[in-house]
Amino acid sequence: MSQDKATTTAPKTMGHSWDGIEEYNNPLPTWWIWGFYITFIFTVVYWLLYPAWPIGGNYTKGLTGLHTITYTAKTVDGKEVEKTTHWNMRSKFLHEMNEMEAIQKQWFDKVASMSYDDVAKDAELMQFVNSAGKTLFSDNCAPCHQAGGQGKIGFAPNLTDDHWQFGGTYDEIHQTIEHGRRGFMPAFKEVLEDQQITQLANYVLSLSGEPHDASLATVGAQLFKSEEAGCYYCHGADAKGNTQMGSANLTDKIWLWADVDGKAGQEAKLAEVKRVITSGLDRGVMPTWGGRLKPEQIKLLTVYVHDSLGGGR
Amino acid sequence: MATASVSTAGVGTSEQYNYDIIRKFTIMTLIWGAIGMFVGVYIASELAFPFLNFDTPYITFGRLRPVHTSGVIFGFGGSALFATSYYVVQRTCQTRLFGGDGLANFTFWGWQAAIALSALGYMFGYTQAREYAEMVWPIDLLVLLVWVSYLAIYVGTLLNRKQPHIYVANWFYLAFILATALLHIFNNLQVPVKLFSLESYSLFSGTQDAMTQWWYGHNAVGFFLTAAFLGMMYYFVPKQAGRPVYSYRLSILHFWALIFLYMWAGAHHLHWTALPDWTGTLAATFSIMLLLPSWGGMINGIMTLSGAWDKLRTDPVIRFLIVALSFYGMSTFEGPMMSLKDVNALSHYTDWTVGHVHSGALGWVAMITFGSLYHMVPRLWNTPMYSVRLVNVHFWLATIGVLLYITAMWISGIMQGLMWRAFDDFGNLQYSFVESVAAAHPFYVMRAVGGIFFLTGMILMCYNMYKTIRQGSTAAHADLNVAAA
Repeated sequence: MSQDKATTTAPKTMGHSWDGIEEYNNPLPTWWIWGFYITFIFTVVYWLLYPAWPIGGNYTKGLTGLHTITYTAKTVDGKEVEKTTHWNMRSKFLHEMNEMEAIQKQWFDKVASMSYDDVAKDAELMQFVNSAGKTLFSDNCAPCHQAGGQGKIGFAPNLTDDHWQFGGTYDEIHQTIEHGRRGFMPAFKEVLEDQQITQLANYVLSLSGEPHDASLATVGAQLFKSEEAGCYYCHGADAKGNTQMGSANLTDKIWLWADVDGKAGQEAKLAEVKRVITSGLDRGVMPTWGGRLKPEQIKLLTVYVHDSLGGGR
Repeated sequence: MATASVSTAGVGTSEQYNYDIIRKFTIMTLIWGAIGMFVGVYIASELAFPFLNFDTPYITFGRLRPVHTSGVIFGFGGSALFATSYYVVQRTCQTRLFGGDGLANFTFWGWQAAIALSALGYMFGYTQAREYAEMVWPIDLLVLLVWVSYLAIYVGTLLNRKQPHIYVANWFYLAFILATALLHIFNNLQVPVKLFSLESYSLFSGTQDAMTQWWYGHNAVGFFLTAAFLGMMYYFVPKQAGRPVYSYRLSILHFWALIFLYMWAGAHHLHWTALPDWTGTLAATFSIMLLLPSWGGMINGIMTLSGAWDKLRTDPVIRFLIVALSFYGMSTFEGPMMSLKDVNALSHYTDWTVGHVHSGALGWVAMITFGSLYHMVPRLWNTPMYSVRLVNVHFWLATIGVLLYITAMWISGIMQGLMWRAFDDFGNLQYSFVESVAAAHPFYVMRAVGGIFFLTGMILMCYNMYKTIRQGSTAAHADLNVAAA
């Protein structure tokens, strides 16, 4: 073996040939061998520092175990428990999260103890609301209401305008987030003739100043308030809706289910409105967040939606 | 261009060796490469531009992703390994494949059927949801039969060898075949829901199941995508360079170290999960110890070229092989680093992992395969390559593609890791998840562009190979005189 050291410049082959391939027997590069040793040393140090070798039913805790980590976490039955343990990745993670939660808590406590109006007036507190609200909103609400709360036609309402289907006061918004909402409109295809639905749709378009057939709309207006169609039960005689039951204001030029703004031409717009009257709606579901978010998070989101996204009412 | 001195090895003929099976696997390597990489580019584009789902469940990311991974790993990589291992074992043992042409053909048709059926199955939603082992249980059984036949052919051929010693490339191929059999069997232990159902339950559950999956997953990388391709390297690099292998001693040492150490490293994929810390520590340290054994293969390959460095300028095939080894060295350095707990805290669950995999898969596995095929195909069809210029173009397209891909994933991965852990002064998370998605978008586009480069190179290769094969002949020549490669 040692004679090879002198032969690096003109190495001999091993004396075999496979399909014309021969092999030198150059010595192992020194840096390679030392590198290999260093990884062994690194390995032993790593074993000494961290939990490493299983022994019986236990394992070596490592020198990082000399520093214990204390953290609080919820058990499966929802109880908060404090635990002190040797170093490990999970406790390290939970401990770091605890540290951040402790900072958050001072601010959340303030939000929880103050009235909505006082929170809104406190500029420093509103910085916190905006910072926490942005992430909470993006991770929980934005999938339906979109990144900036601008909503999506046929899917979820715009939260940045001054119009509120279920009411825009703090308490109403809180109610909406905590318990969820269910928007519903019955289908009229069994009740009304197609011609009647056309008349109603023309009336609805006329309320927003959209192109429509005036004579049909006049008949539609009568029908709207008649017992036969009964639209006014929910939408009101003035067609301005009712936030108690979430029936839409039909006069505000805001369209959620019928994509009137997105269609060009009187016929297409009419078809959209007719579609909603004919088939009704069963998709306006806002899920319940109570129990999924903490009470103070819901309160904070209420302020965020009311004051940071769009004007409340 | 490189004048490979094949005259000394003018022993390879279709009469002496079974070249037909190698030709079949070679052609499927090219076809699966083009399909698998196209699907890869498509799903990368879906991540950048989700409308490409076209609201069609069969082509959503979740279903196409295993089509991509199976297509490139088992279709492209697997066929390349069958082809080259059958080529290498026959030529270095100077004997025809053991078991007759029928058994070899069974490995071909069985393997191709397994990949085609499973790929179709994934699109229709049939998967056992084990990463890189999504094949449902009847296909697992087919693969098992194919693999046992492969093992029998390989060992039989080695036993029939007319050489006193077994060449190093064969050690690596044999280790790959044995380990893959072991991994495939234990990772797929499961009970079908009922006899005529494609669904099944894993025999393991919870953390043990996760451990089994990543013991499989990591060693699929270690043995399928590393050891086996090192076998490829050990034949085609010295052959193409016309130089002896650098160090026999190094090859023994790094072979055994690699084989022993790889098996323990899989749990590093499960840092920051329910896996016990001590298990993760051991996996991380075995990964660190793997660094130099991995580099042993790189050194042996690159140093084989010493004395013939000029070939890097003149021979595009050598260029493929050596650049492959460089990417191999780079990704086997990156891997152990990522296995450390604190680095992993940043890299886990991010695109960095995806980038790491592809620097190995594109840079190492695909590049070494390209080089080997450009060496082998002229010899299988008794003709020089149709166009050496296209080989050169392919090389640059592939290299630029890999670099674009991994750079994009490094940036987006590290950015994601930093964004997810950022807190503001109030103790709030600074970014929502969707903000990190939006921030990654430009890099997803860049990744897709890198993929398009790589795919274009692959398609050029297919064209070049098609033209070469058309002008070639499979007739047995007593003197295999391939002048230029």
